[in-house]
Order: sequence, then structure tokens, then C-alpha cells
Amino acid sequence: MSRARIYPLWAPWLFLAPFVVLFGVFMAYPLISSIGLSLQQTYGPGTSVSVGLKNYADLIRDPLFWIAVRNTALYTAGSLFVQLPIALGLALLLNRPRLRGRAWFRLIFFSPSLVGLVFVATLFGLILHEREGLLNAALARVWPAFPREFPWLQRFVMPALILASLWMYAGFNMIYFLAALQTVDQTLVEAARVDGAGPWHVFRHVTWPAIAPVSGFVALLSVIGSMQLFELPYILLGGPGPESRGLTIVMYLYQNGFETGDLGYAAAIGWVLALFLIGLALVQRALQREALS
Amino acid sequence: MKTRSQLASAATYLILAGAALLTLAPFAYLVCGAFKTRDAFFAAHFLPRGSGPLGIDWNGLTLEHLARLFTDPSLRFGVSLLNSVFYASVSSVLATLCAAMGGYALARFAFRGRGFVTALVLGALIVPAPLLLAPTYALIHRLGLLDTFAGLIVPGLAPAFGVYLFRQAIRNAVPTDLLEAARMDGCGEVRLFFEIVLPLCRPMLGAFLLITFIGAWNNFIGPQIILQSPERFPLAVAIAQVKGVYGTDYGLLMAGTLVSIVPVMALFIGLQREFIAGLTSGAVKG
Amino acid sequence: MAVALRPRPMRPDLLMWTFARPHQEMYAPVLAAWNAEPDRPKAESLLLTTDALQRRLLSGFLSGTPLPDLVEVHGGIIAQIFRGPIDRIGFLDLTDRLRESGVIDMLNPPSLSPWTTRGRIYGLPHDVHPVLLGYRADLIEAAGIDLTQIETWDELIRVLRPLMADADGDGLPDRYLLNIWETNPELIDVLLLQAGGGLFDERERLIISSDLNAEALATIVSWTTGTNRIAINAPEFDAAGNRLRLEGVVLCSLLPDWLAGAWQLDLPQLAGKVKLMPLPAWRPGGRRTSVMGGTMLGLPREGRDIERAWTLAQELYLNREVARRLYREAGIVTAVRAFWDDPIFDEPNPFFSGQPAGRLYIDQAPHVPVRSSSPYHRLALAALGDAAMALKMQAEQHRLSAPSQLKPLARALLAQAEQRVRRQMNRNVFFQIEEPTP
Repeated sequence: MSRARIYPLWAPWLFLAPFVVLFGVFMAYPLISSIGLSLQQTYGPGTSVSVGLKNYADLIRDPLFWIAVRNTALYTAGSLFVQLPIALGLALLLNRPRLRGRAWFRLIFFSPSLVGLVFVATLFGLILHEREGLLNAALARVWPAFPREFPWLQRFVMPALILASLWMYAGFNMIYFLAALQTVDQTLVEAARVDGAGPWHVFRHVTWPAIAPVSGFVALLSVIGSMQLFELPYILLGGPGPESRGLTIVMYLYQNGFETGDLGYAAAIGWVLALFLIGLALVQRALQREALS
Repeated sequence: MKTRSQLASAATYLILAGAALLTLAPFAYLVCGAFKTRDAFFAAHFLPRGSGPLGIDWNGLTLEHLARLFTDPSLRFGVSLLNSVFYASVSSVLATLCAAMGGYALARFAFRGRGFVTALVLGALIVPAPLLLAPTYALIHRLGLLDTFAGLIVPGLAPAFGVYLFRQAIRNAVPTDLLEAARMDGCGEVRLFFEIVLPLCRPMLGAFLLITFIGAWNNFIGPQIILQSPERFPLAVAIAQVKGVYGTDYGLLMAGTLVSIVPVMALFIGLQREFIAGLTSGAVKG
Repeated sequence: MAVALRPRPMRPDLLMWTFARPHQEMYAPVLAAWNAEPDRPKAESLLLTTDALQRRLLSGFLSGTPLPDLVEVHGGIIAQIFRGPIDRIGFLDLTDRLRESGVIDMLNPPSLSPWTTRGRIYGLPHDVHPVLLGYRADLIEAAGIDLTQIETWDELIRVLRPLMADADGDGLPDRYLLNIWETNPELIDVLLLQAGGGLFDERERLIISSDLNAEALATIVSWTTGTNRIAINAPEFDAAGNRLRLEGVVLCSLLPDWLAGAWQLDLPQLAGKVKLMPLPAWRPGGRRTSVMGGTMLGLPREGRDIERAWTLAQELYLNREVARRLYREAGIVTAVRAFWDDPIFDEPNPFFSGQPAGRLYIDQAPHVPVRSSSPYHRLALAALGDAAMALKMQAEQHRLSAPSQLKPLARALLAQAEQRVRRQMNRNVFFQIEEPTP
């Protein structure tokens, strides 16, 4: 700070006060108490036994936990490599100059974000039914070799969830990409076209570099959100589903904490997830810093 | 060359129309379901087929579900609609204000502890919400906020995500020089915030307002835990309760969902421009 | 703004939580009569969805947040309640009250088992929930088949199999005999209980890998696969499942009384087409029913006025008028044996082709199997489901479909499932039960 400060010292804290106070009360305090909880086995006040790191040790040897990790990773990969590219594709199409009905398309693609999860789950239960579902009926029409009974919600739970979340979130992420595309310098695009560059070339060398930072941000948000997947499969499958194929890390946390009442174990699961995500965020920051320098 | 671009544009429309159709099909299901009678509900995916005009069995359609929403007092639909409007507007307005204030402080002030608070914001983004459920509920009880809208709204007023978005947006949209010039002219800090900073990040205000409004509008687990009296329950809870234990009146469920989408849809159409501009300003790396 | 500023309503003196709107409606007149008496504390009920009720109850028991004086809960909630030490369970131990007042003799004995842990009873049973077989009499009788003399599953399948022909030529059978699937462990558990197996014994000891279970599971999975297939997946409360029922693709369903009630509301098109009969047994002379689901009324131990709450609980649950409404509106048979003589249960039910549905359920009510209340039931159920899925996959892979071929595989998979559940049970320092000596 070379320039003299020209605002009172209290000014930033005045603006930060609501966040800092509420964060302290409703976030930091519960978080810290959950550290203590993760080192106990508890059945309410007066019935707590300190067990040290046993909850963590048990967790590492718990096959269900690893199933949850596998499923969550699969879903996250689906969000990253299926949903985001589709969202980007829609945004690129909508961004074409002289497109008619742009506002309508935008509204349509965004509209699933307006509906509550309860309804989405009810709806996809109907759509994905192995025999009577809309999806299988539609697939059989366009591709007659498609098996009459395709058990989405029995065997292909994660692909089914990726489909449902594609419907729900692709439009939202599309808006992020659309926003990013507004910042692309159109004169550069025109110049490249004049030089005879094809659409792929323009995208690769002009558009992508401009939207890469936003894409990184969207990807990070998407990973954080995906790693916390819980309500959609919980309502859609009414629990972990067959062979725990719909079990996610946060669902396992919820089951242990609120169905079994094992709050200590649940807290341990939460902390393992949180530590993993913190590590991930640090790695992303480091990578970004490297890319900038 | 001309034909090639025409072809590309036709393909664009084709793909967009196809995607739009896929996006809308579930909504069509919803709208059809809201008007089908109990008997006809499971008979067809969309409209009941029959011998009536247009090949539709018009006797399988009814307005009864919509009418029942507003006339059956045991559903408490009217009260819960009001509750939802109140809860979602108050919490989205206050949360947006808090987020804007926090983001402004982090974006445009240099002070000891800024790095630490920024790290807190980023850290808070990644805390899994269920980890906090049990301790938060006990806390709200100890603070005497159970069964109050305050207990429902206050814990959500420090949205780390919002602080982060506003920090980015203000870095992009509010020039430091402008702030310093205003201070030279003797503008107080609070006035500066409300008269210069807020108007400049108006798009982000709209975007974040919409995001938090949708979140609050569709929240159905939180209210049932914090609020104890059914006369305070919002619409999402009233609709979730239609999904009964011994059987679901699907038509009623669909009608309730349909009506509940209308306000957020209207808000989105109204704020569409801000929404996109806002996310632009928040997402771009500053 | 008016909404926020409205004064907080006074908390009633006796508050009851329930999760089912029909229950709340049935109790309303009882509560009104109760409140009309001058010297009684004011009573009220509150409807919550099951998730919210469960979270609030848990946080009340674990961290002292407000609890009601009476609460109606269904079986799924028991996991969190019964996993603690016996002297710290959040519900009041009703055992002595039930015995001293003689109320226990009014109730169907097996219906107490889900609410009993380590020998102590923590709730008044709301229901019995016997399971019968619901079948499409219209289709079956039109084919000239008579089911009234059928005694076992084998016989049932033998006489109905001709109906699985493919008349419309789409390459799939037009009808399937039974709604059951390897993905539905709840239904599989119903059949294991009927066979005399199950996940836990009466003393809450894990018995997943028993021989009876292996045999029954092998048979059930054989029903879903290959040349032996007779089953289809038609989930209840599900649009697609309901279409299969309406179109007659499913001929028979396992039908607990509450589901029979739900069908009458949700599937009015089936009226007059369905009949009930006792479940076919696993072997001649075997049990002709099973049990599925259940609700209890409990009193949180820290209640403000335990005595009055207990009085109100009895007025609600030992009430003939409520029992009648419960049957009329939800099809559910009361656990109070004293009311089983009520003529309402003998009324011919047009939905079930004029059969006295209530009487058919009550005839089987004393024979429902005893269940465990283990807090690990849900976990064991998931493990059972996984074993069933794995067995189905292996059956398809190796093209096995005879129960005798599947049984050794079933036994191995159930042993794995048992190990998985036992590992979690052993983690709990509060819930120790003696294991059978090997």
C-alpha cells in the first residue's frame, strides 16, 4: 500500500460484520463442534464415549464408504465431461449471431432450474422406469434394437442421475458460458474467419482462451456441487438404491447421522469430504497460478 | 459459401429445437398431469387418448385439482403461498445485501485479515451442508429462534457463494478511482456503498437475488425442521405433504407444482437481462 | 409482513406429532372431545413429513430440542431410537403400564415385537399389517383357473403359468404372475419372514445367512430370471408400476392391508377385478401370511405430563370409532383384538369383488410373524438387497435358473452380507447383544 488510506479503519469491518458474525455463529461454531463430535461415539448428552480416531479408522475400512466414494466420483466425472460440454455447446449455438428466438431458447433451457428437487425426483422416477418410462419408449422408437426393458434405476443408477442432473443443471451452466462468451472479442473472431479459419480453429484459438477462466470457475463449482450430491438420489431412489449404486458420500453421512443416529461417524465422513475438497481447491489454485505465470 | 452457412444455421435451429423439445417434455408431462382425472392419470404418458375431438378423451381432463388447491382448507395452499412469498423475498433481499456488503469489503478495501476472511469464504463454499444440520438445529433452539421465520432466514444470510460472486463482480465493475474521487468529495462510507457501489453492480444484484429466491422458494426440508407450526409452512412443504403416506394424489401434486413454478418463472423472465449480465460480472476472473 | 408479526400461537398442553394426514383427520374428533372436557389439558396434533419428523425427534432425543408429548412414528425411525443403552432410550418404557393396566392383553401379541427392544416395550402398536395375496380374479377366473384350493407357491405358479403366453406376439409374455424383483429387498424380506427366516431373530441377533433364507432367496431370484421367470417389477406408488397393474400385466401382488387401502384410492379402475386370498405357503401346512410396515405411538420420556399423555394415547389407540375409520378410510386393521368382532370388517367390499376384506385380513392377523426391532434392520435390508442383485447377476451370467442351482451361491452371498452388517454392529459400544455361540 503506497497510497495513503483515505477511508476509516472501521469501514471494511462495518461491511463485513454481517458475514463475519453470522459465519462465526452458524458456520464456524457448528464446524468446530463437529470436530469434537467426530472423535466420539454419542447417544445424546451424558452418553458419549471418546473413541479417538476410531471413527476415521473404521471409515477407511468401511466398504460402503468406498462404494459411496466410487459413485460420487462417477457422478462428478459425468457432470464435468458430459453436462458441462453440453452446456457449453448450447451456449455456443445460442451465441451465433442473428439467431432468432434466442431469448425463448434461453428461457426454455433455464426453466428446469426453477423447479424443486422433489418434483424432479418424482418426474424422473416416471421417465426412467425400465418398462413404462418415457425415456425407454423414446429410445426404442429411434433405435429399434434398444432393449425393451432397460433398468436405469436398478443397474445404471449413476448414468440415470447424470441424465436427470443434465436436465436440471445444464441450462444453468449454459448461462455461465453464455455470460463468458459475451466477453469474447468479436473482432478477433471476424479476423480469424477472414483469414480462413474453420469453426473449430476459431473456437480452439480465439474463443476458448477467452472463456477458459470462467470454465475453470464453472468446473470448480460443478465439482464442489457434484461431490455433495444427496437430495436427488435420496428422493429418486428413496435411499441408496440397489446394491448401493445410488449411495453418495453425503447420503452416507446423512444415513449415519439422521437414520442411524451415529453423529460421530457422520461428522467423520463430513470431515473427510471437506478435507478432500479443500485439497482439491488448493490444487486448482496452484494450477491456475502456474498457468498465469 | 452461402449454402454452407445456410446449412449450418439450419443445423443450429434443428439442434436447439431438439434440445428445447427434450427440455420441455417433462413440463408437458407436468401440465398434462395437472389436468388429468385420477382415473386417466396412468392411462397415458401425456393426454388421455380417446374418441373425442383431436383424438383426446376430454372426459379424462378436469379442473378439479386446480380448484381444490384454492378451496380445500386442509391443504393450507393460500396461507403457504403467502408464507413462501414472504420467506423467499425477505431472505433473498437480505442475503443479497449481506453478500454485496461482504463482497465489497473484500474487493475494495485493503486491511489486516483480508486474506484470512477471503480464505474463510472459499472454505465455506466447500463445507457439506448436512455436516452442520444437527449442531445448527440445536443452536437455533438455544437462541430461541425455533418456530420463527428469523430462525429460518438468519442462518442463511451469510452466503459464502454470494460474497465470492460479489467480490468478483465489484472488482470488475467498480473502479477504485471512482470510489476515491467520491471520498474526496466528502461522501460517507455508507452512502458510498448504497449510492455508488450498489448501482454499479446491479446486474449481480439481480442474478443473486434470483438464485437465492429460487433456493428459498424450493426449500422444503429446512422449514419443516425450524418451523413448528403448520400455519407458517411454505408452499414447498404443503406440496411435499400432498405426497402422502398411503397414496399420492398425483393430479393434485402436479397442479400444486405447476402453480408453484409460476412466480419464479415470472421473476426469471423479469430479471433475465440482469441475470445474465450479473453472472458475467461474477464469473470472469478479476 | 403480517405473517411475520403474527404472535406466536400458544403451545398446546399436549402436543402430538404424526406423519400421515389421514391419521390426523381420524384423531381430530377424539382430540375435540378431549378438549371439550373442562379439566383436561388442551391437546393438538401436528402433521410433519416423515423426514422432518425423524430429524426433529432425533435432535430432541440427542440435544434436548423441543419434543411433543405423543408421537406417531413408523418402523423406519426405530434405528436411531433403539441403538442406545436401554436406560437412555428417548421413549418411555411402557412395559409395566401395559401389563398393569391389562392393555397388553387387548393387543395382537406379534404386533408388539417391532416396538420391543431387549425385552422392553416402547410403543402402542397402531396396526398389524398382515399380508395377503391380491390377484386379478377377472383374468384368472376367465381362464377357468380356480385359486381357492391353492396352498403353496409352487402350486400357484404351476396353475397360473399358462397365462404367461405371448398372444400379442411382441416377444414378451403378456402377463407375469407376481410383482417381486431382486431390487426390492422390502418385499423379499416379507417372503423370508413368511418362510420362517428373516434378517434378525426375536432377540435382535443377526441371522441373514440362515439356510431358510438361502433357500427362499434362491427361489425368489429364480422367479426373476431365465426360463423360470414369472415375476415382474411393478413398484407401488409409481405411475409405471400402476400402469402394469391396470393393464393386467401383473396378476398377483403381495398386499398388506395398508396397500389394499391405497389401491382402492389410487386404482379405482381395478374395482371388482381383484380378490384376496391367504399367501400361498412355502411348504404344505406353512404360514399363510407375512407382515409389512408398521406404526406406533410413543411418549417421549421427558414429556411434561406423562400421565395425561398416556391417558390420551389410550383414548386414541384403544378407540373403536378410530379403529372403524382406520379400516374404512385406509383399509387398515387395528392391532386391538377386542375390536376385531366389529361388523364393519365383515362388510362385503366391492373393490375386492364383494369379499369381506377386513375379515380376511383379521383371520391372518394372529399369525403374522414376529419381527425384530434391530436398529440395524435397514442396513441388513440393504445388504440383503445387494445379495439379491448379485445373485441375479450371477444367475444371468451362468444361465442358472433352478433354485437348487442358485442356493449355494445365495448362501455365500448372504454370508458376505451378514459379515458386512456385523462389522457395523460391532462398532456400537452401546448396543451389545449376546450372540449365539457358534
